[in-house]
Amino acid sequence: MTIKEIEDQIVEEFSVFEDWMDKYQYIIDLGKAMPVIAEEKKKDENLIKGCQSRVWLDCRQEEGKLYFTADSDAIITKGIISLLIRVYDGHTPQEIIDSEIDFIDKIGLRQNLSPTRANGLVSMLKQIKLYALAFKEKEEQKSAAKYSVEEIQKNVIRALKQVFDPEIPVNVYDLGLIYEVKVGEDGSVFIKMTMTSPTCPMAEDVVNDVNNAVSDAPGVNGVQIELTFEPEWDESRMSDEAKLELGLM
Amino acid sequence: MHFAQQGNYMERTREDIISEVRAMVPALSLRMNGQPLVYLDNAATTQKPSQVLDFLNDALKERNANVHRSMYELSDLSTTAYENAREKVRSFINAPARENVIFTSGTTASINLVAACFCQRFVGKGDVILIEGDSHHSNIVPWQIAAERAGAEVQVIPTDVMLGEGRSGKVAVERLAELLTDKVKILAITQISNITGLLNPVGEIISLAHSRGIPVLVDGAQGIVHSPVDVQAMDCDFYAFSAHKIYGATGVGVLYGKKDLLEALPPYMGGGDMVETVTYQKTTYAQLPLKFEAGTPNFIGAASLLPALEFAEYLREGEVGQALKEEEARIKAFMEQTLCSDPEVEVYGTPMGDKAPIYTFNIKGINAGDLAQLLDKMGVAVRSGLMCAEPLLNSFGATSALRASFAPYNTLEEAQKFVKCLERARKMLA
Repeated sequence: MTIKEIEDQIVEEFSVFEDWMDKYQYIIDLGKAMPVIAEEKKKDENLIKGCQSRVWLDCRQEEGKLYFTADSDAIITKGIISLLIRVYDGHTPQEIIDSEIDFIDKIGLRQNLSPTRANGLVSMLKQIKLYALAFKEKEEQKSAAKYSVEEIQKNVIRALKQVFDPEIPVNVYDLGLIYEVKVGEDGSVFIKMTMTSPTCPMAEDVVNDVNNAVSDAPGVNGVQIELTFEPEWDESRMSDEAKLELGLM
Repeated sequence: MHFAQQGNYMERTREDIISEVRAMVPALSLRMNGQPLVYLDNAATTQKPSQVLDFLNDALKERNANVHRSMYELSDLSTTAYENAREKVRSFINAPARENVIFTSGTTASINLVAACFCQRFVGKGDVILIEGDSHHSNIVPWQIAAERAGAEVQVIPTDVMLGEGRSGKVAVERLAELLTDKVKILAITQISNITGLLNPVGEIISLAHSRGIPVLVDGAQGIVHSPVDVQAMDCDFYAFSAHKIYGATGVGVLYGKKDLLEALPPYMGGGDMVETVTYQKTTYAQLPLKFEAGTPNFIGAASLLPALEFAEYLREGEVGQALKEEEARIKAFMEQTLCSDPEVEVYGTPMGDKAPIYTFNIKGINAGDLAQLLDKMGVAVRSGLMCAEPLLNSFGATSALRASFAPYNTLEEAQKFVKCLERARKMLA
C-alpha cells in the first residue's frame, strides 16, 4: 500500500468513533500494543528533541525500505507514534521525503492535542523525515561506488591535476611527481609519489593536498599514499605541457 | 462593600451561597470539549468575577489616560483609580502607608527587583543568600543571577525529603538556626508552596532571621489567596504577589517593602515617572513608591486590584466566607479520603496539617501528561509538568506531575467529578 492508501485506511478507522474519548481509547490501545523497544535503543541520540514526554525513535533499512521502532514514557504519545510508523514503515526514503501526510488533520488529532503535544508531533514527523534524508544520502554514496576502475582512475588523475607544487606553477601530475596510481575494485586508491627534492620543506603539505583532493574524487573509497625518492625525480619526468609552461621547450 | 449588600444571608443555604458566588464568575459556566468546565488550575491563575471584568472594560472606555502626568480631568480619574487600588492593597495586607506598596508586573518582577537592588547595595563577595527548598523558580533564579553578579553564594534550607528524613515536603525549619550565619545577607522564603500547598511557619522563620539582623522576603503568590495577610504582624521586610492569582488582571503585581529598606535600595529601572529632576549630568529620583515604577505602569490592570481584592474579601468574610470555608473543608476531607489515601498515588507533601487545597501527585506507572490530556477531554483543567518548581519536584523523585489546585469558588461536586474523571482516565491508561 502507498502512504496515501494507509492514511485513508486510518481515517476510515477513526470515522467509526463518535467522541474523542473513544478515539483516545483507540490511540491508547495502539500505544499499549506497540512492540517493546530494546533498552539499548533508548539512548540519547534516539531521543527526539522538542517533545515534552520522552520519545525515542530508531530507524533501520532493509532492502531499500525503512522500518521504524519507537517508545515513549507517555502512552498516548506512543499510540500516536504507532500511527506514524504504520504510515511510513516499509517505504523508501524517497517516498517518505516526498510524502505530505494529512491524516493527522483529517482525524482531528492535531486540533485535539494540547499545544505542547502538537509541537511534539511536529518534532516526530521531522525526525522521521531526517532519518529518510540520512538514508537517502547513504544510498547515493553507495551508488557512487559503482564507478568502474577505469572511471575512478580518470577521476583520480583529474583530481591530481588540481594539486599544485607550492614552488612551481605546475600541477603535481604534469610535473611527474606521481609514479603510480592503483585503483582497487572497491574504490580504494594507492598512490606512489615523490617530491622535486628530498629536502623539500613543503613535502607534508603537498602529500596532504593530494590526499584531500583524491579522497573527494567521485568513486574513491580510501586513499593510501607512499612517498618515495627511488628513483629520484628529474626534469625529464615533466609532461610536454609542463615543459611548455616553464619555457623548457 | 457592595458585594456584602447582596441578599439576605440568613435565609440562604450553603449551596445557595456557592451558586451565587459562582454566578459572579462567568468563566465558571464555560464548557470545554462539550463538558462543563471544572477549573482546577487556580494556582496558575484564577478566573475573574464580573466586577473585575466590568471594571477593566469601564476603565478603558471612561478613564483611559496616563497616570501622574497631566492636569486634565481624564488623567485625574485614571490616577485616582490607580491610587485607590494602591490604597486597597495597603489595607488588604495592612501595610503602614501607600509608599510601602509598589506596583510591578507580577510576583516574579517584584522578587527580581529586590534581588537586583538589594544585592547591588548590600551583598558582596563571599556573602550568602539563603532560599528555601520548596521555592518556585521565580524565588530561585533571580537570586542566582544576583549572587553571580555580586560574587555571592545561594544556599538552600532543605526540606525533609531533600535530607532523606521524611516525605512530608516540609521545610526543615529546625536547620535554620545553623544556616543563618553572619554571611547570610537576606533570606527569601515562600508562604505557601505551589506544589505541596503547605503553609510555612513564616512568623517563626522571620523572627529567627530578625534576631540575627537578616531581612526576609516572602513570596506570597499562593499565600495571598489562601490566607489573610498582615505584613506588619508577619513583620516581613518584603512581600511579593501577583494580581492575576487573586482575581485581578494579568501583568500586575505588588511589592510591599519596609520604608527604610526601600529607601536604602538603589533604583531598579530608569525612565519616566521615577524621577524628580533630570539633567544630562545628574538625576534625582522620585519619592516612594514611584521611585520603583519607571515608565507607564499597567495602570488599568493595577486599578483592577480594587474590585479584585473586594471580591477576595467578599469570599472571606461573613456568611459567604463561612460557607466557602466549610466547602473547602469538605473538599480537603474528600481529597484526603480518596486521592491522598490511594496506595497507587503519591501526593507530594503531607495532606495533613496546615495546607492549602493544592494537590500535586503522580499515579504509579501512568504518565501525568496522558492523564491531563484525557481529563481535558472530560472538561477538567489541571496542570501537568514541572509546575516551575523543578528542584522540589525532583527531590520527590518526579520528573513531571499532575496538579489540581482549588480556589474558594470551587465545589465539592467539582472535586468529586475530578476524582471520578481521574479514575476513568486511569482505567483507560492502565
